[in-house]
Amino acid sequence: MKPVDKPTLARVADTLAAHNWDESQLDELVAPGLGVITGFQDLLDDLERLRRVDLGATPPAGPVRAPKSGG
Amino acid sequence: MSLAFRPVTELAAMVADGGVSARELSDFFLDRIRRFDPSLHAFITVMEAAPPVKGPLTAIPYACKDMIQARGAPTTAGSRVLAAWVPDEDAAVVDRMAAAGAVLLGKNNQHEFAYGATGENPHYGTVPNPYDRSRLAGGSSSGSAAAVAAGLVPAALGTDTGGSVRVPAALCGVVGFKPTLGLISTDGVVPYCWTLDHVGTLTRTVGDAVLVLAVLTGDPVPARRPVAGLRIGLPRRFFFERADTEITNAVRRVLAVLEGAGARVVEVDLPAMDHARTVSLTVQLPEALSYHSRYLDTHRDLYGADILAGLASGQFILAEHYVRAKRFIHHYRTETDKIFDAVDVIVTPSTPVTAPETGATEVAGEAVGNAVTRYSSFFNMTGHPALTVPCGLHPNGLPMGVQIIGRHFDEATVLSLGVAIEADPRCAVPPPPDFAD
Repeated sequence: MKPVDKPTLARVADTLAAHNWDESQLDELVAPGLGVITGFQDLLDDLERLRRVDLGATPPAGPVRAPKSGG
Repeated sequence: MSLAFRPVTELAAMVADGGVSARELSDFFLDRIRRFDPSLHAFITVMEAAPPVKGPLTAIPYACKDMIQARGAPTTAGSRVLAAWVPDEDAAVVDRMAAAGAVLLGKNNQHEFAYGATGENPHYGTVPNPYDRSRLAGGSSSGSAAAVAAGLVPAALGTDTGGSVRVPAALCGVVGFKPTLGLISTDGVVPYCWTLDHVGTLTRTVGDAVLVLAVLTGDPVPARRPVAGLRIGLPRRFFFERADTEITNAVRRVLAVLEGAGARVVEVDLPAMDHARTVSLTVQLPEALSYHSRYLDTHRDLYGADILAGLASGQFILAEHYVRAKRFIHHYRTETDKIFDAVDVIVTPSTPVTAPETGATEVAGEAVGNAVTRYSSFFNMTGHPALTVPCGLHPNGLPMGVQIIGRHFDEATVLSLGVAIEADPRCAVPPPPDFAD
């Protein structure tokens, strides 16, 4: 997987149904400086690792359900 | 002791026996807000005290995070985007508090739209930590935690998507409780991430959390469980790594006290946490973007830089990533449930560090927001109830917290253990000196 770059993100946003993102917002994705969360590239790298994990038929999480009362 | 730092249970008793009137109580706390809040920035809106009805919280002042709507009061969610919005309905939790007699004194400052755990806010000011103003209160329920810690209200409501109640509570030396996912209604709460959002409580004591929880759920106050015989899970991995040694020592001291009271500590293996942060963000960011989509074309210039970057990230996460992350959440939940076959609760540090310095971008080798939520965000995904209780002051003078996690809908056991922990005098955290009368 190639590292994400700004022209790619800009092309995706231009081509697909998406919001228009400013240079500064795309810059933060490519070279994070705000320190609030993981950088976007780190997130993508980790998602690539997760993609290789076989979850079998595990479904997406739904609501937490209260235990059925006995009797 | 000053009224400012008395728990809700004591204030309620004083109101009941006529020791203080509803008016005196609200005037007292409104006066403290007027005196201290200009430098604390814990409130975005201060409200007139409405006459209370009779109930379990008669005349008890409280505040709520500005994500939670209150009829007739601006509900900004910490953003300029919603600065002009004045809802005409109360959130379900505000309704419940009013029906119990509680008096809403204001809306608390927060990280903008709950996006972030530092509490830094470019629009309404960053809430400093009441114990050291050069440090962060933490977030995103920064104002709610700081207001309780500084004695501006005895209780507050917040929201918790990755630790946003527990993290600021731990960093500010108060009790923060996130009940089981779905137990408390989020109706009338500005969403950040529907899958992970919880409403939670910030109080001075665990007993107060019990009382407020009973009001919010409409259930009776649960019977306290004895500590003797409880099986406490101690995670073998992850939760004691990268943590400040003083914090891990404090948590181990707590465990020793609980063992002395008859609990049994059992080592447990939680699911691998290495990717938990990624899983959480992969659900958070697209869901946040989906909600904010309605404002991005018309109000983009009113957003702060950090949330805008987060929303942009949400745009580029693929649908398969989102679904896969939700499948991981299911996996985390079922694997954690299995652990509760062998133990009654799990105990961890609440945060790996004490309050970071304002303006820092990294702490303990990772982004500040990641570091402070390192031990909390997993339990938003699993949905288990999680409580943070103070466990003393670090030698640097800042509070430390211990986190207790229990089975789904077994709030009673979690809170019972919290009561036992706060009874240990070494866990006590004195009020912040700058906010004494």
